[in-house]
Amino acid sequence: MSLETIAFGGLAVVLVASALAVVLTKNLFHSVLWLALTLTGTAGIFLTLDAEFLAAVQLLLYAGGVVTIVVFAIVVTERLVGDRITQTSRQIFSGLIIAGAVLVGLLTFILRAPLSRPRPPLGGDLTRAIGDAVLTRFVLSFELLGLFFFAALLGALYFARPDD
Amino acid sequence: MPASVSLQGYLVLAAVLFAVGLFGVVTRRNTIGILLGIELMLNAVNINLVAFARFNGDAVGMVFTVFTISITVAEVALGLALVILIFRVRRTAIADHLDLLRG
Amino acid sequence: MTDPGTLVTLALLLPAATFLLLAIAYPLRRAGRAAGIVSVAGAAVALAAALRAWQLQSAEGFTRIAIEWIPQESGPLATVGVLADADSTLMLVLVALVSFLVQLYSLGYLDTEAPASLGRYYVYQSLFAFSMMGLVLAPGFVQLFICWELVGLCSYLLIGYWYERPAAARAAVKAFWITKAGDVGLLVGIVLLWFRAGTFDFLQLYDLARGGQIPLAGLGLVTFCIYLGAMGKSAQFPLHVWLPDAMEGPTPVSALIHAATMVTAGVYLLKRTNWLFALTPDVLVLVGWIGAFTALFAAVLACVQSDIKRVLAYSTVSQLGYMMAAMGAGFAAAGFLHLLTHGIFKALLFLGAGAVIHAVGSNDIYRMGGLRRHMPQTTVVFLVGTLSLAGIPLFGGFFSKEEILGAVWSGGLAVPFWMLVTAAFLTAFYMFRVVFIAFFGAPAAPAPLAHGGHGGPDAHGGGHLHDAPAVMTGPLWLLAALSVGIGVYFTVHHGEPEFTAPGWLTPLAVAVAVAGIALAWLTYSRRVISADLLATIFAPLRRGALAGFWLDDLFEGVYRLALLGLARLVGWVDRYLVDGVVNVFSAWTLAWGDRLRRMQTGLAQDYVYGLAVGLLLLLIWVQWPR
Repeated sequence: MSLETIAFGGLAVVLVASALAVVLTKNLFHSVLWLALTLTGTAGIFLTLDAEFLAAVQLLLYAGGVVTIVVFAIVVTERLVGDRITQTSRQIFSGLIIAGAVLVGLLTFILRAPLSRPRPPLGGDLTRAIGDAVLTRFVLSFELLGLFFFAALLGALYFARPDD
Repeated sequence: MPASVSLQGYLVLAAVLFAVGLFGVVTRRNTIGILLGIELMLNAVNINLVAFARFNGDAVGMVFTVFTISITVAEVALGLALVILIFRVRRTAIADHLDLLRG
Repeated sequence: MTDPGTLVTLALLLPAATFLLLAIAYPLRRAGRAAGIVSVAGAAVALAAALRAWQLQSAEGFTRIAIEWIPQESGPLATVGVLADADSTLMLVLVALVSFLVQLYSLGYLDTEAPASLGRYYVYQSLFAFSMMGLVLAPGFVQLFICWELVGLCSYLLIGYWYERPAAARAAVKAFWITKAGDVGLLVGIVLLWFRAGTFDFLQLYDLARGGQIPLAGLGLVTFCIYLGAMGKSAQFPLHVWLPDAMEGPTPVSALIHAATMVTAGVYLLKRTNWLFALTPDVLVLVGWIGAFTALFAAVLACVQSDIKRVLAYSTVSQLGYMMAAMGAGFAAAGFLHLLTHGIFKALLFLGAGAVIHAVGSNDIYRMGGLRRHMPQTTVVFLVGTLSLAGIPLFGGFFSKEEILGAVWSGGLAVPFWMLVTAAFLTAFYMFRVVFIAFFGAPAAPAPLAHGGHGGPDAHGGGHLHDAPAVMTGPLWLLAALSVGIGVYFTVHHGEPEFTAPGWLTPLAVAVAVAGIALAWLTYSRRVISADLLATIFAPLRRGALAGFWLDDLFEGVYRLALLGLARLVGWVDRYLVDGVVNVFSAWTLAWGDRLRRMQTGLAQDYVYGLAVGLLLLLIWVQWPR
């Protein structure tokens, strides 16, 4: 029982539990908090996969940025604690069925695929590799990403304009 | 328990998260709740990508993940902006009331 | 011009030429009388050609001119042309003679017609003459059938000549329908025969039949089908119902078509294919029986008619039955002889009746009376015709009728024989009934309506009680002279009969005829026997006879039942099956469209549902075990 396995098991439990909490809590604000925990758990998974850079990015952008935005949105829509009324009564059974079916489908697919091979040893610093790839092989996508952000910014500004 | 977790373990975890997220999307009434479910699904995808990247020894998967995280952030921001705008117009954030596209 | 073949071709083509000329040259047709004269002239030359051809044609040989029409590898499939032998040239003479006389007569009879209508009449007459001659001269079944149908068409056109009268239009359609029913049989028979023998040509078929090369199995069906055609055209029971109604046409038409030529086409057909029918004696027996029954049946019906033309029509049906009976007994020559003599005196009777109708203004014999004082010529010729029909010696019909009786007796058909004898008695009776009522006796009360009365448009208003103009009486005298001439000829020159008749036959025939005349004289002239008493004695029979024994009603009922039934069935199928299928499809489309529409709820979450289902399907498809 290596450390890695224990870490993975614990993180997995936390992740699944918090994810379930996200979708089942009646109070929306609590959901958001559970989401924050889930995103942090994901960062931990990234760490077990030797992707430190990505773990950092996850924590910064997701657990930090996204959660903040969502909280702001909730505040603006003033439904902070008013959503106790049957939040999730909408067709739970069919939702369970379809989610369950998709899960089963995916699991059978995964478990049947011939993927059992041990992880190869680390060949160099992954962060450096990411940086190299972004700026050489994927530089076009990278620049387009910048353009994309610009468009998103413009869109956000447009949405946020006062009603004239 | 094996000495180290195999690829399939990560993939199974991602699948479970994906299913939970899907359940949330389909079931939640509040629009923001739906967005949270989408977040979970995207997260699962990211775990998948990184696991494959690690087990293939190729960093490309992680580059892909960088991109998806960036785009997701932008999408969440604008999605929430839309929710707020709809809320202003229709005074409701409950998805069931937004059925103008009904056939 | 000494070749019979060329002469008959000339005789055949002349009416065709007149027909085409009158049909195409509209101004000529519109001139009325001029068209008539052209047609009559053509008919006269055709008659001369036919007579010469008959003279030249020997009894045994034949002349054949044939043109290949439908080619085929092993010999032509169909030929057209002429086949002139003893029978066909003689028949041709009859057709040409009666045609010529009738066309001449019509110039006087239809003198009140509008010129354009008169032109139309002569177009039809020429077409008829051509068709009938084509039928008579046909070298094979194909031309025979074509001319057969053409003749039926002309009959329809001429019966319905006064087409504005609903009765005439109906009668024309009825004639066409009933004869068409028979014609279908004829066509089937011809095709079946071709299947067996491989040819349509008469000469080839004759050789095959004589050589025994036509398979006998099922040949009875073939000959029966051919007989069906004859049954329709020659008004045998039960397809006789069209002939009395056909009297709606002008009287000259009745004389030509429904006495002498068209209706005899059936008898002529049987004579022509005699050698074929000889191979199926069972069918011949049937022909004989039906013929004899028709003769008796029609004679009974004739006794109660008050319309002079209807009496003559039923009389024609009866005499056709006689001819067929002789055919059925196996002695076709006797039947053919009667065909010729009957053609002469029946045409005479019809034309005479036409003169009477023209003068009196009505067809009803009870409106006539004592006509002999005003129309002596007509009385004489009519009397000649009646005596011929009754079968009195020295007159035309006597010898041929006696031949038929002898033939039927020799052929072994006993019951038909006695039927024919009874019919002979009745024939004499009803014909002299007409003579005594119309020509002798007291004149009928003057008809209050002096303008055409009940006789319809083929009379112009009565009050003209005098003999007809020369253009009408000329043909009458000619026919009367011919009738007497034939009678005398046969009394003097007895031909060698094909059979030996019993010695008591001739006295029996004469006695029966005289008895019929005597009964009529006693009842209608002397009034010793009360006609009403006779009517009461035979009351049920009389009632049936007046109703035509309800055959018309039967036909109409069956036709209506079949047609309406079929129409209803087809309508049901159309409405519920054909339309139903389409409607069901459309209803299903609408229903399913409605149901599927509910998928579009407008809610994004439901669409996510759809996405998830799609994903599921993809997963299953990818993993499907191969």
